[in-house]
Amino acid sequence: MSVEAAVRAFLDRLRRRVRLPAKKTELPPADDTLRAVEPSLDLAARFVASAEAAGCRVHRVGTADWTAQVARIVTEHRIASVLVQVEPGTALTPERAADLTRVLADRGVSMMTETSDAVLFDVGAAVTGVLSATAETGTLVCASGAASARGATLIPPVHIAVVDQSQLVADLYDTFAWLRRRDELPANVNLITGPSKTADIEGVLVTGMHGPGVVHVILLEPS
Amino acid sequence: MSRTNDTRRRLAAAVADRRVVAAVHLATWRKVDARAESFARLPHAEELRERAAQIRQHTLDHLPAYLEQFVGQVERRGGHVHFAADAAAACRIVCELATQRGLTLAVKSKSMTTEEIHLNAALEAAGVRVVETDLGEFIVQIDRDRPSHIITPIIHKDRRQVAEAMARELGCPYTEDPAELTRIARAHLRDIFRRCDLGITGVNFGVAETGTLCLVTNEGNGRMTVSRPRVHVALLGIEKIIPRLADLPVFLKMLARSSTGQPMGSYTTLVTGPRRPDDRDGPAELHVVLLDNGRSDILAGPMPEVLRCVRCGACLNACPAYRNVGGHAYHSVYPGPIGSLLSPLLYGAEHDALPRVSSLCGACGLVCPVKIDIPALLVRLRALTRDRQPALKRWMLRGWGWVMRRPWVYRLGQKTLRALLRDDGRGWARGGPGPLREWLCERDLPRPPARSFRRLWEEGLGNER
Amino acid sequence: MDVALFVTCLTDTFYPRVGEAVVRVLRHFGCRVHFPKRQTCCGQPAYNSGFHPEAAALIRRLVDVFHDAECIVTPSASCATMVRRHGPALLTDEAAAEMARQVAGRVHEFATFLRDRLHVDIGALVRFDKPVTFHYPCHAREVYTVDDLRRWLGNSEMVRTPARPDLCCGFGGLFAVEYPELSGAMLGDKLDELMRTGARLVVCNEAACTLQMAGGARRRGLPLQFKHLAEVLAESLGLMEPTP
Repeated sequence: MSVEAAVRAFLDRLRRRVRLPAKKTELPPADDTLRAVEPSLDLAARFVASAEAAGCRVHRVGTADWTAQVARIVTEHRIASVLVQVEPGTALTPERAADLTRVLADRGVSMMTETSDAVLFDVGAAVTGVLSATAETGTLVCASGAASARGATLIPPVHIAVVDQSQLVADLYDTFAWLRRRDELPANVNLITGPSKTADIEGVLVTGMHGPGVVHVILLEPS
Repeated sequence: MSRTNDTRRRLAAAVADRRVVAAVHLATWRKVDARAESFARLPHAEELRERAAQIRQHTLDHLPAYLEQFVGQVERRGGHVHFAADAAAACRIVCELATQRGLTLAVKSKSMTTEEIHLNAALEAAGVRVVETDLGEFIVQIDRDRPSHIITPIIHKDRRQVAEAMARELGCPYTEDPAELTRIARAHLRDIFRRCDLGITGVNFGVAETGTLCLVTNEGNGRMTVSRPRVHVALLGIEKIIPRLADLPVFLKMLARSSTGQPMGSYTTLVTGPRRPDDRDGPAELHVVLLDNGRSDILAGPMPEVLRCVRCGACLNACPAYRNVGGHAYHSVYPGPIGSLLSPLLYGAEHDALPRVSSLCGACGLVCPVKIDIPALLVRLRALTRDRQPALKRWMLRGWGWVMRRPWVYRLGQKTLRALLRDDGRGWARGGPGPLREWLCERDLPRPPARSFRRLWEEGLGNER
Repeated sequence: MDVALFVTCLTDTFYPRVGEAVVRVLRHFGCRVHFPKRQTCCGQPAYNSGFHPEAAALIRRLVDVFHDAECIVTPSASCATMVRRHGPALLTDEAAAEMARQVAGRVHEFATFLRDRLHVDIGALVRFDKPVTFHYPCHAREVYTVDDLRRWLGNSEMVRTPARPDLCCGFGGLFAVEYPELSGAMLGDKLDELMRTGARLVVCNEAACTLQMAGGARRRGLPLQFKHLAEVLAESLGLMEPTP
């Protein structure tokens, strides 16, 4: 039996076996009435609180100062090489990437744009944009695509995410409504909430198990 | 009788293992408190539980239709769907996928479903090396142990045991520092992730509307496993479907909160098909293996709502019985309250005793994010397996019922009980026959006073005003 | 008001003083108390063990014994829950089930009866001359809350609330004798919890839990004393001599 036929045969068997119960449970509406955060709230403040609670380090900076902030982070972690990933639909525009590259290169940091394994497993940090961010939980939404590798926000030990305040949505409900509105879901979407963590050994929290141990969020304030 | 006795011996041995019991106490209380605090801060928490229960129940009621939709959507996006009737079939499918493509190094993200079918042994036998990548599961694997909790596999181990296993198996310097142990494991597994060619994951939710696989992890091993290898095989129980993408927030708001108290897991990964032609990286092939392995029997049986379970582990953490024995004592992949339902329903009579390993305190039902009334179902399962109970127990309960239906015999029984319990001189029993002996091995028993209430009533209390 | 007392088999046999306290407190608040003598057990042990035909027979009996009572009061929330929730569901014969539902609607747990029907402010009446803590029985959940129980102990500084008042005592009916080692370990956790409060007097409104906890405390040499709220009330109101 072909793979497809085996699946169909199973579904037929299941249909014959399982009868609808007398008391039917309706599918509740796909609404957002149980939301935790109203869009009218100060989303930036809520985002900062939630992201920090999840273990991110958030920096609220103006568009004029953000490269200096990234430079400070790079110095703090003594990072020698940085991957910069420009992606449409994010706040990391080609112009901004060029600004950052200039600033960091001036300080002797090696700047990468390629996402080969040799780069991903070697760089000290990746700077990326995000597609959206959720105030309720401090979540960053990143996706795979032609311009963005799955590994970029995952493999380097430090992730620096550039987020424009206008990209904030209030609630997880809004995040999924936003995803739903896209014509086609990317093959790989990640909702990133804080650094990689584990508490498997005696419940002691340790960051950086597989993914980045440090996540910096550069939250760009409207100029 | 022997099944109850075996279970009792096993549980008694587990209770006596103070090291494990202390570790499990510490971990479960911490999670119970974190969960409670986290839910207290979640607006509409009760309504979310109610809604999650409705969505899951509705999906189960209409599972064939939603599965069909899910299968169609996965295939439309270029994924392949396989069906496995049982554990052997699932193992065969995964092994064939690996061997036909010459894949030799598999990484696995934590998955209870793969534990359930003992996939690792099958793959190793087929010549595929399998490496567990969740830190807890990795330690379980190198220490040739078994997970004892569905979320926290090494809840039963302390840092010394972890340190010993890592030093012995990896040849690294001995350290008991969790941060250092984590760093060593990271380095070891990074090397594996660079070379692996097959990624195996479970799935938290399969979205029928889009064919999306939702995986939640904290460590990022799930992301690695679905990004690095060229083939991704996802194994999911047929019950893990939800209808719409818009249903996900309802579950995501509660899943990590129920497990660890976090508002969100670190990584929620949504996989919709294999890599697209212009994607920079990612698996070229995506295979979804739908596993039945007894689930359709549960669905067609008397308590299908058990399948609402989202494997958050909250009922294990809340359970005072689990807390005092740990997961191994249950002798099943699924321990704790939900396991005491799933194990006998999935695997049959050898687990008959499990529904009875509960004081029915109800702590599990209170924390279940999909509102499975676990204590009520435990009682129903006890009723369904009543005829397989030891003859002595059946006769004693029948005899007890006979007595209770006859007030004068009941009264005689009160006197007999008093007579059977020898006085220790202070009004407490020194010893007694039958079940009283079992009572007395853990606690004292007062002798019933010479005057029962009904005697007090007759001797004057009834006539007072 | 006429009240039929459903004393429960455990209270009848092991804790007659609790039954007496219930009677005296009810009379104090003007009730005429009746005691239908044919009553025995609600069938809960059989029900929880999955022996449902046996439990159904006892529920049917209990419905018959109490069918003409206006108000049925019991000192046990778990027995009240057995009659109110599980009882009618056990009876397959529709007429019997309807009868059981009618009786079920007239069953009240002692403290909630005082509060809801007699409008007694229990917390204002109880007196403690030494530190006191309390145990919330798992099977009281459908009858009263932890906060209710805490309120009934009043505002006295003597009340020490445990960190986890609703931790199970580990009794669980036949579970206690089928898996005594595990039941005993759970009991140990419970007693630790109570001891940590520093109080040595424990209010517990469930005879089964008291049997387990008092027996466990004595076996472990812990100086804990257990009382039902009815006893506390009867003593506070001067209706009964305090126990030493």
